[in-house]
Amino acid sequence: MKRYAMVIDLRRCVGCQTCTAACKSANATPPGVQWRRVLDLESGEFPDVRRSFVPVACMHCANPPCEEVCPTTATKKRADGLVTIDYDICIGCANCIMACPYDARSIVHEPRYAYGSRPIASEAARADSQRIGVATKCTFCKDRIDLAERTGQVPGRDHEVTPACVNSCISGAMHFGDVLDPESNVARLLADNESFRMHEELGTAPSVHYLLDRR
Amino acid sequence: MSIPARSVERIAPRRQGNWDWRAAGNFIAGGGGGGLLANAAMLAVWLGLDARPPLVVGLVMIGIGLTCVWFEIGRPWRAMNVFRHFGSSWMTREAYVALLAMCAGVVAIAHGTLPAVIATGLLGLMFMYAQGRILAANKGIPAWRHPRCLPLVLATGLAEGAALLALAAWGASWWRHPAALLVVFCLWRLWAWRRYFAALRSDGAPSGTIEAFGGIATMFVWAGNAVPAGLAVVAMLITLPWLAALAGILALASGWWMKYTLVCQAAFTQGFALPKQPVRGKGRAGPAVKPGWQWSSWLMR
Amino acid sequence: MADNAGVRRVPSYCYNCVAGPDFMKVKVENGVATEIEPNFDAEHVHPARGRVCVKAYGLVQKTYNPERVRTPMKRTNPKKGRNEDPGFVPISWDEALDLVAEKLAAARAKGLIDESGLPRLAVSLGHGGTPSNYMGTFPAFLAAWGPVDYSFGSGQGVKCVHSEHLYGEFWHRAFTVAADTPHCRYNIAVGANVDVTGGPCAVIRHADARVRGYKRVQVEPHLSTTGACSSEWVPIRPKTDPAFLFALIHVLVKEHGLAKLDVPFLRDRTASPYLVGPDGLYLRDPASGKPLVWDEASANAVPHDTPGAVPAVAGSFRVARAVSVDADDEHREHRDVDGVTAYEMLARHIGKYTPEWAEGVCDVKASTIRRIANEYLEAASIGETITIDGQVLPLRPVAVTLGKSVNNGWGAYECCWARTVLAVLVGALENPGGLLGTTVRLNKTRDNRHLSVAPGEDGFMVQYFNPTSKEEWQTTPATRNLHQTLVPIVGNNGAWSQALGPTQLAWMFQGERPDDWSLPMPTLPDVWLVYRSNPSISFWDTRHLADVVAKFPFMACFAYTVDETNHMADVLLPEATDLESEQMIRVGGTKYMEQFWDHKGVALRQKAVEPQGEARDFTWIATELARRSGLLDKYVSAINKGVAGVAPLKGDGYDFSLAGEPSPERIWDAVCRAATLTLSEGREEHGIDWYREHGFYTVPISRLEWYLTPTLARQGLRYELPYQERLLRTGRELGRRMHESSMNWWNKQLAEYQALPEWHDVPAHWIRNLEKSGAKAADFPFWLLTTKSMQYHAGGNAAIAMMGEIAQNVRGHTGVIINADTAANLGIADGDRIEVRSHIGATYGRATLVQGVRPDTLVIIGQFDHWATPYAKDLGMPSLNTIAPMSLDLTDATGSGADIVCVAVRRVEAMAA
Repeated sequence: MKRYAMVIDLRRCVGCQTCTAACKSANATPPGVQWRRVLDLESGEFPDVRRSFVPVACMHCANPPCEEVCPTTATKKRADGLVTIDYDICIGCANCIMACPYDARSIVHEPRYAYGSRPIASEAARADSQRIGVATKCTFCKDRIDLAERTGQVPGRDHEVTPACVNSCISGAMHFGDVLDPESNVARLLADNESFRMHEELGTAPSVHYLLDRR
Repeated sequence: MSIPARSVERIAPRRQGNWDWRAAGNFIAGGGGGGLLANAAMLAVWLGLDARPPLVVGLVMIGIGLTCVWFEIGRPWRAMNVFRHFGSSWMTREAYVALLAMCAGVVAIAHGTLPAVIATGLLGLMFMYAQGRILAANKGIPAWRHPRCLPLVLATGLAEGAALLALAAWGASWWRHPAALLVVFCLWRLWAWRRYFAALRSDGAPSGTIEAFGGIATMFVWAGNAVPAGLAVVAMLITLPWLAALAGILALASGWWMKYTLVCQAAFTQGFALPKQPVRGKGRAGPAVKPGWQWSSWLMR
Repeated sequence: MADNAGVRRVPSYCYNCVAGPDFMKVKVENGVATEIEPNFDAEHVHPARGRVCVKAYGLVQKTYNPERVRTPMKRTNPKKGRNEDPGFVPISWDEALDLVAEKLAAARAKGLIDESGLPRLAVSLGHGGTPSNYMGTFPAFLAAWGPVDYSFGSGQGVKCVHSEHLYGEFWHRAFTVAADTPHCRYNIAVGANVDVTGGPCAVIRHADARVRGYKRVQVEPHLSTTGACSSEWVPIRPKTDPAFLFALIHVLVKEHGLAKLDVPFLRDRTASPYLVGPDGLYLRDPASGKPLVWDEASANAVPHDTPGAVPAVAGSFRVARAVSVDADDEHREHRDVDGVTAYEMLARHIGKYTPEWAEGVCDVKASTIRRIANEYLEAASIGETITIDGQVLPLRPVAVTLGKSVNNGWGAYECCWARTVLAVLVGALENPGGLLGTTVRLNKTRDNRHLSVAPGEDGFMVQYFNPTSKEEWQTTPATRNLHQTLVPIVGNNGAWSQALGPTQLAWMFQGERPDDWSLPMPTLPDVWLVYRSNPSISFWDTRHLADVVAKFPFMACFAYTVDETNHMADVLLPEATDLESEQMIRVGGTKYMEQFWDHKGVALRQKAVEPQGEARDFTWIATELARRSGLLDKYVSAINKGVAGVAPLKGDGYDFSLAGEPSPERIWDAVCRAATLTLSEGREEHGIDWYREHGFYTVPISRLEWYLTPTLARQGLRYELPYQERLLRTGRELGRRMHESSMNWWNKQLAEYQALPEWHDVPAHWIRNLEKSGAKAADFPFWLLTTKSMQYHAGGNAAIAMMGEIAQNVRGHTGVIINADTAANLGIADGDRIEVRSHIGATYGRATLVQGVRPDTLVIIGQFDHWATPYAKDLGMPSLNTIAPMSLDLTDATGSGADIVCVAVRRVEAMAA
């Protein structure tokens, strides 16, 4: 039994948005839709000011409010931890968007292109009408995880089966793996470091952990 | 694609942008319609009122509400998929309740029998309840998931139903009964609103939510509840039916405006928060940060 | 490389900014580039583990941008100006190349040098030398041509880490300077925004260092991304950094004292023991002319390289006989004089620069300054060692790094000097953990700075200075930026020295020259070629600069889209861009920013997709131009010599020399083979097909390559620090030459040639500049600075939609960063459109209210304010460049300025509710 989780080391993140771009590149999301993005959070008062960078996306919660509210069963939680959307069933009611406290989901009702009203070649090559009018979000690069099941590769270790954002991270902040495997990088990072999950008090049990400091 | 000009919009709670007046329409028309069904059934029991006209109106209103939603969803031609998740989705359950209410209502309208009317009324009540639970399950909107939101949704649905009947009863002999219901439900709604708004402020809510509700609070409390209740009492005391109808208009309009505010204007998202800020090399972790929230009591847990 | 049918993953590199090169793969589906990915094949040789930064992910959109110039274009409107529509019409490559070749031929016929002694051909290339990673064999064409003027800069050089380039290379072969981050424990970063501009190699290293527990103190007027990722932020007043750094030296030298510092390093590796006479010059041995030191063993003044001598580092000693050599070789005799060691001179000099004094200047508490100095000294761990590749070396894990606007413009000499002195005091200069140079560009042997270390004068490294003697001083400047005439330490290493000259002067002197100008009149070049450069956006006083551009008689621009500079062009040539063309470059070794590797090698950029429209590979264009200009033989010969930047095509045991008119593929195949053979020392040979599959080839190098001190030690050489005797003399000579030509307009700059820099009111330069124009300082009460974002660092992607979208996640990228209290006082709310006005103009943007900036400072991210570049011109984003002047007053001795200007700010339009 596997349970995939992401560990993001906030000591490392520099807010460069490389993961934001890599996700857009890998998933061909339309302009205005960022399945992953990095928050730039300032706090304090001059001169005691802090600024933190926090990559956020779908948290693939163990207790996903989106799954509970979805009227069509389009949103489902898999045993391996991924929360998936079946685009063919979704009716685009946006109930899940309201349910998600992480601003992770979005709906686009008509095709959008980077430069005006016509797609450029790379957009045309990847146009997907399936994703119009339905909820979309980070999938933990589900196709890669599913590939790993077939090939026996290890997500988080083998790049081909690791989410694009994790692969792209230039500061080494992002990690992915099976949190039930005590030898996995994510398990070891969680054991060695102080961490938190976003909005934990809401009872969503997110699968994304943020590292703050050594224990 | 418009780029938010204010950086704070990308982190702090922002007004939700997916459910607009069409979704509000479902809660307004549907909730009002459900309340009308319930009130009509109550009067049918209380004074043997022929509930068929208000039942028709109520069911039509529920239908209008659901049609509004149909126009809003991304894939309207798949709308029947909405029935697939009875196990946990209150949106599915709302659809089933609406269906059952339609069936019971058709029977009640065709045969006029009291049990069918009562059943329709109860289903009307359940419909409002389901709508309230839809909001409550939406964890992403603090104003909706707050436990005191559901009572307010129920109270306003009932008040709106009574208001509609008070309007319909102008010129009828039985106008005092809806007026009485109006007084009761307006007072309940006032109490539910005050508890709700006070709790939002003390438990903490996005600043935008507080601001939006603050903008309607005075109007809602007075013009929406205290004044209509007072007018209805006076109307009953000095026998001025049109005053009760006026009270009905005020109570109805303010209820709808409050619901529109709840669903659209005050519906701010959760935003993001850190319980601590990371250490960068040497030094200590930084304090907690939760931009865009307001609360009067203790700091974020 | 074909995975599934129709899907290929093509290895390539990204070197769009100086933080590269980094590896990537281009996913191509049925002939269309769809994704960019890291190239994990390079994971174990590339410090950034095969990854590229955010910008590279925009290269797909860059390729398919519908606004690209897709065919050569010719101007039909003879009038040029911002408000003149160029009337570009498409023409064939034949016509375009003939047009350009014709103009070149006409220029050549008149003589390569014009009547003012200036090249008729000028070329402007952009960002830090990076265009050469994309322009194929074009450098060979330029080499074949002859003299070229690279003077018309676009912001690189003088607007870059300019003084660091020049002084860094002079002092320790450090064209750019970095901390030895993998070993660093304490980094004082004064305006150095390494987590934004350092690229993937720097970002991972500093992230690792954070987790390891190093401390970085960010000294900067605003909380940049790097400041945010640091342990401490010190919000210093703009342009007062010298005071801060001087005070740090004070704490080490005066409060801790020599015994706590790295005495052996000071004694043996620097000129600290050299005796300075009463005239401020070294006391020299009368016989040999060598600077004297006081030998503690024999209690005598002896030449510095006397075997067995134990030079005193501190103190003043009586010297019986000595000579000093002043400007123009004037000898002076000294008898019975006090020789003060250079270190002692430093100690006396730094006495007045206490932390308490500095607090009043730079607005940083004395206690903070003192604490930082103490932490720095403690972290330096003097005495600790480390073994690297079997060699035991000192470990000094501290570094002071500087950023743009600190290490260029007035005050930069002081800062560069001070931070290098801070390194030598603790023995951290070019030692493990410490302050490292990464490459050389003004000295020869570009890719191995160790080879540029050879004995020169006075026990220092050999260093070429542009002559300032009466006989050899260049009275007829060979370039329009007068680099060899005005800046001795910029050297004469071809294009690089030119590009590092005072490139704003080339623009300025086209309009107005000082009254006492007695040099030949600067002409406009007959032909101006521009590539990957947009000075009308990226320099200063850009509106006016565009007007100057409009005056050039003939401009041919290699154009990606129309832009603010090529708006004035006569011909546009669309070159095949990043994913459409082929070239091999060197990677690894030690290079800019923190690109110092444990390997060195080469990488191939290859054609992943067919070029859009009629765009052609630059190598093809270069060959065509060479042929049509009658320079084909010289061009091919230059390629054979290795001018394409990788390896000569003929060497020990191999000969891939080309002849005739080789195709781009043949050229690069030969380069591939020559490169592999050279790198592998004859063991392996791979052609272009192998590289198209594998992407790169590397061999290991020793980490000892990172550290220059062992090389100096082996040759018994010293760093020319702390006392700048040679600069003092050189400045005097230059002054004499200028005055002999009756020119006084460089006097302020001459005053900077001090042996030990003094603090002077640096910010006042900007205030006096605006007062000189008739404005009142009180009307411009704020400092405007600029900073970078990783999404846009390198400019060429202002037109890429995805960058625009995701950059909005970075706070302040919408417009103008302003302190929240300052804004409140001015009635400005978050999101309001505001005007930022200097004495020469205004720029407009949305206010972002933050706490992370000084109340007296505003910051604009990037360089926008476009009016011609598609997509960018609709962003409505401001730029400091529009409102910062170009002025001699604001130019320092090395010829650079800084990105800072005094401004006023007001709201122009409230944010829509």
